[in-house]
Amino acid sequence: MSELKVAADIKVGDKLLGWAASEDVRSRGASGGLVTAVLAAALETGLVDRVLVLKKVSEFEAYPVFTSDVQEVLESAGSMHSVPVNLARYLKPETCSGKTALPAKPCDARAVVERVKRNVMSSEDTYVIGLNCGGTMHPEKVRKMLETIYRLDPEEIAGEEIVKGKLVFFTKDGKEHAVPIDDLEAEDLGRRDSCRYCQVKIPTNADLACGNWGVPGDLAEKVTFVEVMTEKGVELLRNTVSAGFAEVMQPDGKSISAREKVNKVMLGMSEKRKTEVFAPIENGKERFEYFRKELENCIHCGACKAVCPVCTCGEDSKCTAYFSLADSHKMSLFHMVRFLHLSDSCIGCGQCEDVCPAEIPLTRLYQRFAVPVQKEYRYLPGMSDRTPPFFALKLEDNEDKEGGGCTCR
Amino acid sequence: MEPEKTEISKSWEPRIVMFCCNWCSYAGADGAGIGRFQQPASMRIIRVMCSSRVDPVHVFSAFLEGADAVLITGCHLGDCHYINGNEKTLVKFNFMRSMLKELGLEEERLQLNWISASEGEKFAEVVRMVTEQVRQLGPSVLKPEGVA
Ligand SMILES: Cc1cc2nc3c(=O)[nH]c(=O)nc-3n(C[C@H](O)[C@H](O)[C@H](O)COP(=O)(O)OP(=O)(O)OC[C@H]3O[C@@H](n4cnc5c(N)ncnc54)[C@H](O)[C@@H]3O)c2cc1C
Ligand code: SF4
Ligand code: SF4
Ligand code: SF4
Repeated sequence: MSELKVAADIKVGDKLLGWAASEDVRSRGASGGLVTAVLAAALETGLVDRVLVLKKVSEFEAYPVFTSDVQEVLESAGSMHSVPVNLARYLKPETCSGKTALPAKPCDARAVVERVKRNVMSSEDTYVIGLNCGGTMHPEKVRKMLETIYRLDPEEIAGEEIVKGKLVFFTKDGKEHAVPIDDLEAEDLGRRDSCRYCQVKIPTNADLACGNWGVPGDLAEKVTFVEVMTEKGVELLRNTVSAGFAEVMQPDGKSISAREKVNKVMLGMSEKRKTEVFAPIENGKERFEYFRKELENCIHCGACKAVCPVCTCGEDSKCTAYFSLADSHKMSLFHMVRFLHLSDSCIGCGQCEDVCPAEIPLTRLYQRFAVPVQKEYRYLPGMSDRTPPFFALKLEDNEDKEGGGCTCR
Repeated sequence: MEPEKTEISKSWEPRIVMFCCNWCSYAGADGAGIGRFQQPASMRIIRVMCSSRVDPVHVFSAFLEGADAVLITGCHLGDCHYINGNEKTLVKFNFMRSMLKELGLEEERLQLNWISASEGEKFAEVVRMVTEQVRQLGPSVLKPEGVA
């Protein structure tokens, strides 16, 4: 194995293996505890004022907390696969004066970018430590899986892990129980619907992109693979190493290509799933009926909008201000406005679908509008803060339009 | 001129909400009247100060309240009274049209045209053409029951 890398040598584009210096963090961390080390070091050295992490209640429950307590950050180590939260939603002007660091799945990181674009907070003040993501699971479905497929008592679970395409539960008696994720998903269990066709698996839009893909077999769960994406990422990692919170080293070429390979396979599976999901919603007249039927059940509680991390309109928003149930005979104006509004920004994070009390497959609907538009303009929201939302982009394209854009000549 | 209705059951006629810009197409409508250019009575004209004032909320509301189509008209590109309002209209229009298309509506139900104040004849022609297209399509799926 190669030598440890010194802090000063870390630069943008580096792909490294890293681990927390603390034995305790390393053992509780999902991989090498590097993410926790980076967050803790940033807080300890004053690089950031606060950190946003998940506070664990049980194996299936955790809630987001802002903290300036290094101990609390150290305790947050570990991946919560059944907590499908979107952390970006909690970044608001009220909570973000000063500098904040947070761990972020691709959908969290994409939401951060979209929120930065909408001036909710500034990019300079937000440090995003990305986590690769194969998907999250709805806690309720996890319970159902345990009861119906694993035949285990949810209270007996001591831990959970995803190993080689299998979802493994550890019970308090020390036993392992594994079922292939494909089998779970065939029963409509397993990952959330939206995760199964999610388009980003490695958060290359974050400052650091961390994960276990590419970690050599003998080091599995002992080290974290990290790619340094930005100057802020360099700052974070150098800070961690020089403060003695973690160590990093160069992996061999095999590690790097293995990570790319898994990513490709995962993205391919997402793409395939997307085709399957959207195929039944393809035809003109039937498509309208499909949307009408699904939205018919909406009780207009507003939860889907409240939870959407890329919607920053707040109280005074077009979709609610002009909405009247009496005028929405065939379809809800609220949703029609949101379909349009989110066509350039929906990141498919699944939050809306998770909270809908009427169980409308909202993310499917929103993505059904967003994907064709995003494809046409070759624009994936949340991936770069230099790409303006394309309402701005399009003005320049007008000139090339034939007939100046008239539709009836 | 209102076409003669003989049977109630066959009486569906396209109802089209037309947005006219104060500085061009609205005057174009006058021109069409003064010039006595023939056109069907399918349009319900709403005057706006600029075509870019037309918001997606207006368009969707028109459909939800029974319009069979929406026609947005404004000044020719480069001639906007407010420099580039109509260019913004075009951007919005393209987004709205693709959204309605994805929803399962025929894209001909949302139309855009540039008609200057002096183009009375073009105004009538556009009205005739859009009405004919919409007649072929039949009533909109978004039309509430009981609305003609
Ligand atoms: C839902 C999920 C799915 C993942 N899938 C993959 C995968 O398929 N391939 C892969 O290479 N890596 C995946 N990872 C990343 C991997 O599990 C590790 O998080 C990563 O390798 C970093 O390890 P670590 O020991 O350095 O992190 P740790 O030191 O354990 O730190 C983890 C940090 O993540 C935060 N966190 C935990 N759960 C969540 C959550 N649900 N949402 C947001 N933040 C959370 C914690 O608060 C903590 O700060 C996934 C992570 C999560 C959360
Ligand atoms: S939407 Fe994508 S990034 Fe977010 S939890 Fe699901 S798979 Fe992970
Ligand atoms: S519409 Fe739903 S899936 Fe899309 S960004 Fe908002 S919450 Fe996420
Ligand atoms: S969460 Fe569901 S019921 Fe509530 S407004 Fe959204 S779609 Fe309607």
